[in-house]
Amino acid sequence: MSEWMRKVLESKRQMRKKIAALPFSEKIKILEKLRDRSLAIASNPLRRRLSHRG
Amino acid sequence: MKATLEVINRMRTDGVIGKYAIGGAVGATFYLEPSATLDIDVFVSLQTMPGSVLITVAPIYTHLTSHGYKTEGEYIVIEGWPVQFLSPGDALTEEALEQAIETEVEGIRTWVMTAEHLVAIALKTGRPKDYARILQFIESGILDTNRLDSILSRHGLLEKWEQFGHRFFGDDK
Repeated sequence: MSEWMRKVLESKRQMRKKIAALPFSEKIKILEKLRDRSLAIASNPLRRRLSHRG
Repeated sequence: MKATLEVINRMRTDGVIGKYAIGGAVGATFYLEPSATLDIDVFVSLQTMPGSVLITVAPIYTHLTSHGYKTEGEYIVIEGWPVQFLSPGDALTEEALEQAIETEVEGIRTWVMTAEHLVAIALKTGRPKDYARILQFIESGILDTNRLDSILSRHGLLEKWEQFGHRFFGDDK
């Protein structure tokens, strides 16, 4: 693994740690945003067309 | 989710349900970074129906639908969140419910399963997304290994834990 990739992974790990340390209420707000985005993506007509093609 | 929890707490106050605990992805969010989920798993202690030995979540659904909430398959949508009410089906989930941690979401009191119980339940359930969550818990370094070992041992999951270790960590674990 390259040094650059190692740094990227470490930075991601740190970010996850930082978010995990947030108060539960804050994390629930993030969860709600993630859910809204998932629902928006799932209801996108383009996605539905693609899934029909298998 | 605040409004959803208020409704669930009201059911508790009104005696529709006993103690409850949030499990699944929302429960894991108490300890880890949030990961996308579309529903809330709520484990509830229930009384048997009069004259029956069966424990059922039916009274919860009856109560909520009478208050205007709609069902969607096995879920009931409470203030925008699909909620699945689950009765503890085994000693492990009963214990997880009993030992749940009290916390708050935007000032609303609620209960969440311990990290070690969430891991044990995920191990027992054994779907790919459960294994992914276990790996997240291990990476986070928040697990109390003595407590986890004790839970796994008590509920006959040590062998499965060993298999999990071999599968994901080889001999490194």
